[in-house]
Amino acid sequence: MERFRANLMLCAGTGCVASGATKVRAALEKELKKRGLKEEITVVLTGCNGYCAQGPVMSVLPDEIFYQSLTVEEVPKLVEEHFLKGRPYEKLMFKEPEKKLAIPLMKDIPFFKHQVLRVLRNKGLIDPEKIEEYIARDGYQAAAKALTQMTSEEVIKVIKDSGLRGRGGAGFPTGLKWEFASKVQSKVKYMLCNGDEGDPGAFMDRSVMEADPHAVIEGMIIGAKAIEAHNGYIYVRAEYPLAVKRLQMAIEQCYDAGLLGKNILDSGFDFDLEIYQGAGAFVCGEETALMRSIEGKRGMPRPRPPFPAHKGLWDKPSVLNNVETLAQIPLIILNGSGWYRSLGTEKSSGTKVFALTGAVNNIGLIEVPMGTPLRTIIYDIGGGIKKGRKFKAVQMGGPSGGCIPESLLDLPVTYEDIVKTGAIMGSGGMVVMDDNNCMVSIAKFFLEFTADESCGKCVPCRVGTRILLDMLADITEGRGKEDDIETLQDLSRDIITSSLCGLGQTAPNPILTTIRYFMDEYESHISQKWCKAGVCRDLCTFFIDEELCKGCGACLRACPSKAIIGEKKKPHKIIQEVCVYCRTCYETCKFNSIKILPAGAHEPKHMLVETKT
Amino acid sequence: MPRLTIEDLQKIKEKHRATFTLREGGYRAKITVHMGTCGIAAGARDVMTALMDEIANAKVEDVIVATSGCAGLCAREPMATVEIINHPPVKYGDLKADKIREIFKEHIIGGNPVEKYALVVGSETTY
Amino acid sequence: MADNTKILVVDDEPVVVRSCERILKAEGYDIEGALSGREAILKIEENNYNLVLTDLKMPEMDGITLIRWIRKSRPSIGIVVITGYPSQETIKDALDLGIIDYVPKPFTPAVLTDVTRRAFEWIKGKALEKKIEEEFPPSMLNELDRVVNQYKKKPGSSIPVLQRSQEVVGYLPPVIQKRIAKGLNISPAEIHSIVSFYSFFTMKPRGDHTIRICLGTACYVKGIETIINKIKETLGVEVGETTKDRKFSLETVRCLGACGLAPVMVIDHDTYGALSRKKAIDAINQYAPVGINETPAEEIEAVEGE
Repeated sequence: MERFRANLMLCAGTGCVASGATKVRAALEKELKKRGLKEEITVVLTGCNGYCAQGPVMSVLPDEIFYQSLTVEEVPKLVEEHFLKGRPYEKLMFKEPEKKLAIPLMKDIPFFKHQVLRVLRNKGLIDPEKIEEYIARDGYQAAAKALTQMTSEEVIKVIKDSGLRGRGGAGFPTGLKWEFASKVQSKVKYMLCNGDEGDPGAFMDRSVMEADPHAVIEGMIIGAKAIEAHNGYIYVRAEYPLAVKRLQMAIEQCYDAGLLGKNILDSGFDFDLEIYQGAGAFVCGEETALMRSIEGKRGMPRPRPPFPAHKGLWDKPSVLNNVETLAQIPLIILNGSGWYRSLGTEKSSGTKVFALTGAVNNIGLIEVPMGTPLRTIIYDIGGGIKKGRKFKAVQMGGPSGGCIPESLLDLPVTYEDIVKTGAIMGSGGMVVMDDNNCMVSIAKFFLEFTADESCGKCVPCRVGTRILLDMLADITEGRGKEDDIETLQDLSRDIITSSLCGLGQTAPNPILTTIRYFMDEYESHISQKWCKAGVCRDLCTFFIDEELCKGCGACLRACPSKAIIGEKKKPHKIIQEVCVYCRTCYETCKFNSIKILPAGAHEPKHMLVETKT
Repeated sequence: MPRLTIEDLQKIKEKHRATFTLREGGYRAKITVHMGTCGIAAGARDVMTALMDEIANAKVEDVIVATSGCAGLCAREPMATVEIINHPPVKYGDLKADKIREIFKEHIIGGNPVEKYALVVGSETTY
Repeated sequence: MADNTKILVVDDEPVVVRSCERILKAEGYDIEGALSGREAILKIEENNYNLVLTDLKMPEMDGITLIRWIRKSRPSIGIVVITGYPSQETIKDALDLGIIDYVPKPFTPAVLTDVTRRAFEWIKGKALEKKIEEEFPPSMLNELDRVVNQYKKKPGSSIPVLQRSQEVVGYLPPVIQKRIAKGLNISPAEIHSIVSFYSFFTMKPRGDHTIRICLGTACYVKGIETIINKIKETLGVEVGETTKDRKFSLETVRCLGACGLAPVMVIDHDTYGALSRKKAIDAINQYAPVGINETPAEEIEAVEGE
């Protein structure tokens, strides 16, 4: 077989492809050929590396040098310097944000340093389109073990003992779910995978499906064995074309290799698996709705019981597991429940993958042991808040979750601790917000989402979310009333208790948590008609503090409506009649001289003092 | 791909061991060929090619090859450093294709440094 | 064709013409009579009839000759035969010429109105079919039928069928939904319930290029709203609409899962990340020119440059 002295692991995930990985690959191969290195060095396309914001990224092995923000123009220089002359090319290395020092080795970059890779064990290390590479990393060994050396009961016991909980959001113990379904007598059962990752701000499952599709398939084979199912579906969002393509390819490879279909690995066990593409409905992430959707109907939830373990897809016993949950299964079978429990906490064992996005310096996909404090994730891995701004909240759990304030940053990330804050673990979206964000608007953003995605089957959710949204719109547009906060809370509680499915039962969480931790913002919106973040256009006025203005003219040039006047080196002024409240000047000013006051304010000096940040 | 048996899984794993030794670490020996301007001018490319050839023929899976810049001793280029884990590294100079082939057989496979080509023993390790 | 309910009744017996007129007028049809084939031809040449009811046995020109003439010169007119002598032979001739139905004399008013109503339904269906064929090329419809047949026997296949169909046709208007429903042997209502539920499906034609803007949290936090506004303003459309020149359709999507690149949009299959207003318009311009940014580039960079 071919031997190479170096493998260039180029990320070909959605993010890096969008930032030009395909062109970079072509340029690399051309340059390697030109320099006569084609026989020595090969380019390997990997799944999502997780460090999407700096894409395209590439790690050079065995050197372990990490390159980011690759461009076609830089490729010749990179090849000449590193691969021909052996001098790692500093220009494309990760730079430490504050001191701008280059960090050559991937393992030294803080973003990667604090992570423990289990679910993402193969990210950037294998070509997801080659089954041999997955097998070379112990792939399908666990399936072989489960199918030939273990009984269904033994498989279920290991998973139960491991304490693995569903990574889709609610955290139901996976082993228990399997046990319920295994105990129901039925000739036909279904093993299903939920790849309908709908939470805005979450992309863990997409990355896993793209970077390691075989891990998901192997997890499904083992689950099928545990519950004695012989048919399965992977339900994937239509918005994830690359994930669909990689999974399809992986399934075909498995059929060719006898890892799916009849008599898998000569064990006598049969399992057929196919992909079902969703069609864009958030509610289909709910298990009963998802099953309805596979049946080819409107994806609306139904009351439980009966639970899917008894009556699921086509009324047959079914188990639905999340992508990340399934990707952990092979590891647990191979290494045992004790190994799995060695990380995490008593009630939340193992690791969890998060999609860290928003106002942090290092954006990307991370995997940390359960129980890691939020502060470590945001400041050590995430590298703190962009441009040195002030942290305001971290949103977890998407539209079903909530905003966690700074005072709770030392909280360990576990299912139990996150629930106490009013947010939920959710599928792993973690959106960091700084002081540029208005929390009432954030609540409104999520309610717009849930009101729109409510399937309409039950009234509390369909009408309730709409009323909540209208009230929030009133508050952000200056029509808020004194008792609104109380009404919001009352209505929220009613919706939670009376909705049919998880969508309605959790939809008010963003409102309740923002009221709980950011009550002052609601109050200032309602009583002072003042959005202190300057986001709600009807509730703010922008002024330039003449004492702080240096007359640099940056805001004047930036203003899209030419509302700022002033001579160079003299204090500038905003013409209120022309201002469109776009915040551009506020973000442009380097001297903190732009002040946000309530709507219709006339620059009273005492307020200027109060708003200084 | 034909239908796999459990034994096949193991065989595929063995077959790819070399690739993953390279990617994951865990190698036994590392040979660094110095490829500065001077090294290349003096024929480091031929040395590299010969070395890659030897590795492929010998079917060893725990040896990796790296390149580095000028070693600072331009007069003795082409140069290479052989590091066997837990042994002092050995720098060789004035290399040619046949010399590196000999070094590969004697030192990397056999474990005995080739003293007649060695410049220095026990410089800094790079692993 | 006003109302599309204009009828000509042709019979050499005035009493038959009169009774037909009386019965069908009461049902709201616009009906006229002719007492011979020759008179019928003259009237048809003058007026736009949708349906002709004709006797077969008439002096001078018989019904079959009239039907032949209508088929040749006015193929879109539907024909129903009224006859007192329904011999196998003549009816067969008439059926071969493509008549819709026949009414044996004597007939009750109920039979006549029933046959007429069904004849108009048939004409309407025919017109719809013709419209489909005009609007969608046969190769496209063949491909659509092939997709439907491929999934026909698989349970729960309506969503994949609609996904493939939308790929083939570009959108799912009612006529296409009906054709799919017929092919899958389920009710059009059921197909419609699925099309209207899932955001992936559209009943309106799309532009050559589809711009999908991500509304995910990360994109929201990073100011996607100002970018959407800029695009709306530049293209002159709202979200969910297609530009007048059918070049672009503007859509939003819940989350593209590319949060690391926020704010993000996708044009057809290409993802554009880390957008600014200028970058977004520049990207769109690569597909078809949509005009130049009014604000000079340097000023925009000053706004958005980080």
